[in-house]
Amino acid sequence: MTRVLCLAAALVLALAALAAPAAAHNVTAGADLRVAQTIAGAEVTVVIKGTTRVPGPLRIGVVAYQPVSGPLLSLEVRSVEDGHTVTGTAQAAADPQYTQLQVERTGPHELKLSAGNETAVIPFRVLVERAPGGDFLIYGGLFVAALLLAGGLLTGATARPGRAMALAAGAAAGVTVAAMVIVFEPQMPAPAPAGAAPTPTTSNAAGRPYAQARVETVPARPQAGEEFTLRVDLIDGSTGRPVDDLTAHHEALAHVVVTSEDGRYFRHVHPLRTAPGRLEVRLSADRPGRYLAHAEFEREDSGGQLTAADFLVGGTDKAAVGETTKASEKAGTATPPGVPTRADTTVTPRLQPAVPVAGRPTMIELDTPAGVRTWLGMTGHLLIRSQDGEFFGHVHEMGSPGARVRFTFSFPEPGRYLAWIQYATADRIVTVPFTVNVTTSEAQ
Amino acid sequence: MKRWHAVAAATLVAAALTLYVVSRSTAAEPVDLTTTGTRYAATVHIADPAPGRVTVEITVSRGDAAAVAVSAVMAEMGHSTPEISATKRAPGRFVAVGELFPMGGVWELSIRIDGPAGEEQLAVKTLITN
Repeated sequence: MTRVLCLAAALVLALAALAAPAAAHNVTAGADLRVAQTIAGAEVTVVIKGTTRVPGPLRIGVVAYQPVSGPLLSLEVRSVEDGHTVTGTAQAAADPQYTQLQVERTGPHELKLSAGNETAVIPFRVLVERAPGGDFLIYGGLFVAALLLAGGLLTGATARPGRAMALAAGAAAGVTVAAMVIVFEPQMPAPAPAGAAPTPTTSNAAGRPYAQARVETVPARPQAGEEFTLRVDLIDGSTGRPVDDLTAHHEALAHVVVTSEDGRYFRHVHPLRTAPGRLEVRLSADRPGRYLAHAEFEREDSGGQLTAADFLVGGTDKAAVGETTKASEKAGTATPPGVPTRADTTVTPRLQPAVPVAGRPTMIELDTPAGVRTWLGMTGHLLIRSQDGEFFGHVHEMGSPGARVRFTFSFPEPGRYLAWIQYATADRIVTVPFTVNVTTSEAQ
Repeated sequence: MKRWHAVAAATLVAAALTLYVVSRSTAAEPVDLTTTGTRYAATVHIADPAPGRVTVEITVSRGDAAAVAVSAVMAEMGHSTPEISATKRAPGRFVAVGELFPMGGVWELSIRIDGPAGEEQLAVKTLITN
């Protein structure tokens, strides 16, 4: 029996090694899904709060990072299994009111978010935790044991040793079940929540295949001052199929940074998923020339990836005559996210060492006003591009709380880098552009 | 001594039953998954989901389906399998037979449905165990 129990223990331990469910786009009670979106010219974060039961309430809010005075965003939640659809509206605000929608079942769902003439479809799963099965076995086993032991004692008292023994054996069985579960339960995998995606029992793969990005603009040759769509089609390098398993990476399906060659134009935006494997964002560039687009994203069960592309903008320099400003004022749109404004440039970051050395850590610190809000899961973001655009970096604030943001980064090579620090205040996203000249250690 | 044996046997049976209950979750069960798109809704039934030759029954419960084809992708490893055309057995009932899952793992089964309403590709995810 000792051998059997040893074997049993080994089996249970083997079961405990099962992979945990992937956390991608799962909405459970206490674990909200947050997805940043650049929609209708505004930078917002959609928050889907989990539910503890189905049918049950699913609460959706839209956090704004700048004053939004546009129409309501329309929400449509659809179960991919049975097609049941519920609709509602949400007003983006710094501290939003949550819209409550009723979901009927767990499993795959889609949130269709529409504003203006733009629509995003965000896939997610509604999960509801299941009570661990172990509890039932522990209490059931002990309950049976208690009943049978009492029966055994009574039977023994009436001098029926055979029956008493049978009852005692049953009691022993009950205690065994309870004891085994109590001992092994901590090592047993928690039951997958209802509605969870299937997970592999054995995982040999360390990350999914790379994704390739095909970047294009619609129209193919946008004109300065005119709105265009930047489209990123992601394709799996191993199957050739659209990559539609992006996980919320720093609170977005993808972070796209578009810069002009000289770095005077900068946008950090969060494209909308308009079809499987397709991400789109509306932009407008004020000057003709070559623009660079860097897209960061992460597939499920994988690490982050970066793709780079460039595109051309034709036409004449509208910024030189200030037409862009007038046009945006006329249209009544909010200032696009990440647009450097004059107020942003009054504070300059401090570098330590003052002349960074390639390959060595450099600390970059910037004083910030009070009331900085977390944006994309972090207090501050530092985006770095080499002058030629061949290198791109995205650094996160890692300092202790205070009236400043602090970053550490080792510039890989000597040369000139363009950099932008971004943080969110109560009513806007501040972008501070600056340049860094990196030297070699020999030059010191 | 015999009485002691009865207790020991009962204990063993209980231990075995506990293990059975615990390990039950990993056993292969028939796949029955429904997915709804904008034009069609389909239910996939695989009686014996395992690597190798499988029979996939597709019931199109919404929309008028003229042709159905299935293919599979294992995203984790980057594997994909050729498309298998399903045979129409009755209105809305299709059966595809072939080697859809070369190995165990999580597979996404794509169901391409064509009909007067147009073409639509639906997908379900399932775990295939060896």
